[in-house]
Amino acid sequence: MPIARTHSMALVGVQGHDVEIEADIQNGLPGLLLVGLPDTALREARDRIRAAIVNSGEQWPLRRITVGLSPASLPKRGSGFDLGIAVAVLSAAGSVPAAAIDGVAFLGELGLDGQLRPVRGVLPAVAAAAARGFRRVAVPLASAAEAALVPGLQVLGASTLGGLLGWLRDGAAAGPASPAPAIEGGAVQVIEGGAMPGSGQPDEAGPGGHAPDLADVLGQPAARRAAEICAAGGHHVCLLGPPGAGKTMLAERIPTVLPRLDTAAALEVTSIHSVAGVLPDGQPLLTAPPFCAPHHTASKAAIVGGGSGVIRPGAASLAHRGCLFLDEAPEFGRDVLDALRQPLESGEVVVARSGLTARFPARFTLILAANPCPCAKGQQAACECPPAARRRYLARLSGPLLDRVDVKVEFLPVSRGELLSDRSFTEPSAVVAERVAAARQRSAARLQDTPWRVNAEIPPSELRRCYPPAPGALAPLERAMDLGQISARGVHRVIRVAWTLADLAEVPAPTVDQTSLALGLWLGVPR
Amino acid sequence: MREAGGREDRDGGAGREQDRLARAVLTWLAEPTDPQLCALLRSCSPASIVAGLSAGTLPAGAPPSRAAHLPGPGIPGLDRAFRRWSARLGDAPTEAALDAWRRAGTELLCPGDPGWPGQLDVLGDARPWALWVRGSADLRFACLRSVSIVGTRAATPYGTHVCTEMAAALAERGWAVVSGGAFGIDGCAHSSVIAAEGVTIAVLPSGLDEPYPRSHERLFQAIGAHGALVSEHPPGRRPTRPGFLVRNRLIAALSRGTVLVEAAVRSGALNTARHARDQGRPLMAVPGPVTAESSAGCHLAIREWGAECVTGARDVVARLSFGAGDLAGLPPGPVLARDSLDAESRSVLEAVPARVGWGPARIAVVAGVDFDRVICCLGQLASGGFVERCERGWRLRSPG
Repeated sequence: MPIARTHSMALVGVQGHDVEIEADIQNGLPGLLLVGLPDTALREARDRIRAAIVNSGEQWPLRRITVGLSPASLPKRGSGFDLGIAVAVLSAAGSVPAAAIDGVAFLGELGLDGQLRPVRGVLPAVAAAAARGFRRVAVPLASAAEAALVPGLQVLGASTLGGLLGWLRDGAAAGPASPAPAIEGGAVQVIEGGAMPGSGQPDEAGPGGHAPDLADVLGQPAARRAAEICAAGGHHVCLLGPPGAGKTMLAERIPTVLPRLDTAAALEVTSIHSVAGVLPDGQPLLTAPPFCAPHHTASKAAIVGGGSGVIRPGAASLAHRGCLFLDEAPEFGRDVLDALRQPLESGEVVVARSGLTARFPARFTLILAANPCPCAKGQQAACECPPAARRRYLARLSGPLLDRVDVKVEFLPVSRGELLSDRSFTEPSAVVAERVAAARQRSAARLQDTPWRVNAEIPPSELRRCYPPAPGALAPLERAMDLGQISARGVHRVIRVAWTLADLAEVPAPTVDQTSLALGLWLGVPR
Repeated sequence: MREAGGREDRDGGAGREQDRLARAVLTWLAEPTDPQLCALLRSCSPASIVAGLSAGTLPAGAPPSRAAHLPGPGIPGLDRAFRRWSARLGDAPTEAALDAWRRAGTELLCPGDPGWPGQLDVLGDARPWALWVRGSADLRFACLRSVSIVGTRAATPYGTHVCTEMAAALAERGWAVVSGGAFGIDGCAHSSVIAAEGVTIAVLPSGLDEPYPRSHERLFQAIGAHGALVSEHPPGRRPTRPGFLVRNRLIAALSRGTVLVEAAVRSGALNTARHARDQGRPLMAVPGPVTAESSAGCHLAIREWGAECVTGARDVVARLSFGAGDLAGLPPGPVLARDSLDAESRSVLEAVPARVGWGPARIAVVAGVDFDRVICCLGQLASGGFVERCERGWRLRSPG
């Protein structure tokens, strides 16, 4: 049998594409020729595959082998095609029956000794395979649990090439014929339907065994309330205050009050993390909202995604359905901050390269934190910055970016009196999270027939037209505007936040209570 | 109701109809501020004047005419004016024409109508015989909270910028903007208000079906949809040079105050400003570079006429909210009275320290209310001008 075909999946962004691997064996000088836009890692597959096949105790056909990857126009990167190529070569040589590889997608990198190594992006690749009607997918054993998240196909998890070949030849999954290097060969077989592993509760506890809790942020009751609002309405938030007031502490606790991801969102998030190769061990499905805090020296590609070879998702996508926390936001590069405008607007990142365009979902809650001035002294009185420097510092956060931020929190320097008084108002994250979940349900019910899910996504024009507050509720805002305490733009923010407060307070539309509350939270030190 | 109304109503209605038609005819016959007609209207009703013109005699009770250079009782030049008006009587509008215009969206507004803007009484005898109005806005209501923004047709980018910002901000605060629909500052003010979805009123120097300038036709359509087009001239009347100056008194009179954005020393905008000054309405001017010819009129208004120097909508609102409250019957200031507060807000206000600034939790404990309520009350108190944020928290707002 001179020609054999297998299938594998190539990823562009988090989108999987079917790749057909054809192996052809002809008379000629012995060798392996790879065609079809392979990159360097894939070109090196020749030597890996030969070594793996020989070391698995198989016969390497000593003739001229041509392997074609199609569609040839799609750039193929990485080592994930190794397994598919190896099986295609062996099948062309007649040592694997063609019937056994029909309808199977192969994913995995081969070691020289024939071991199967995990690759990135198994989940989106398997999901795409399922969508294209494959019945089975063969993956490295280490990725089997991740692949098994996808319903509707059979997952063959194998630790070695030999084990997989044995399973394919025997047809049935009866005996794991484990060949020469006896490393627990054989194939796991997971019939899938909703085989979500019970990893719903990942360990949130920190190193000290103490889980972060909103109640830890003592002395900042207004900031805690803002965290609740931003979780309930999906609002972006800007935290402003002196160092040591608890900005970072609060930001890290916002995910603890966010609702857990539903199945669809969890699969989306896990896919992105899988492509980035940052899935934690032993936890195939991420159900907690992710929290991503890039350092302020991060490059543009690190934030929005990119890279010269394989296009990797950036921090904005890793924070999809969770929080992106930019600590010391004014220290970030201007172009880095401005690059965030696209995902904030459209909820996805589009990385365009000459050969292809990758899309990564990126719908996150943005948390900006900043000191009021570059010297960052705890006491305002000790600040030595000239006024111009102070103004320039916050002006680095450009208008279009701040336009998307609905909630602004100005932290007060913590005083003893406030610390003592605040004790009676602290609530644990679990209590707040319940309120948030209820508020999200209310807003979801209201926004049912619209393209938006949370209050923060409603565009300003729609907000004005379709969601007016209750009669009389705007009175405090108008007075504040006449006093010059708030701008017209600020009024929109306050109304938006008032809607979330109405959801939290379980009233049908914001009343004067909610607008005053939102105004009280919004007002800051005049600058 | 209507049937039970009786004869009086019908008679009154008929009398009003007659008066309306007569005023419509007067807008046709005499130019606005025609001095003889102004004087004649003091003693005669519009209907009797029109009836007299048709009959070719002075109406009963009219003072005698006299030569302009002779002293004595009577109206100088009345007989010549009478001949002048009679000449135009031939093609004066009829009831049917009025109806046709109304169906086409052009309404006639007469003094005494519910929609008549009472501010125009400031013009005295020179108030319009009637107004032709087209648009969606209620003219009287819109004018109660309105500002005129006028300026040069040759606006600089600076003037356009200031005007756009100011008009939009005023619109967002619920103020209507009155202007003249011309190129430059006028058009910019209108379109900026439309963009901010506010109410804007254009006072035209021509008939409403011949709006001037022609190339602002789209703008006039938008103004009709978002506000109102107003004119003293009947449909079909072309603009005339003196008509612009006469129109300017109306712009000043319709609004509570007039803002001069960019104006040269000899300009129509300055003419509007002069009217505002003479009518005793607040006059404001936006300063420009002292070297700019285009702002020289603004500087002149500030220097010589006591115009207030304003830099944005905030200044304008501050000027109009406190000064001219009598005109609109609005509360004089934005600040709430202390005794209008509810008990909770009062106790929170009691707890707020005078100088140092406390965090909200401490205020909540001292005032004995829960945390959400304290933030809510602080928001209300801040908007009422009682408290303010400082670096250490909330404190009482220092007076001034």
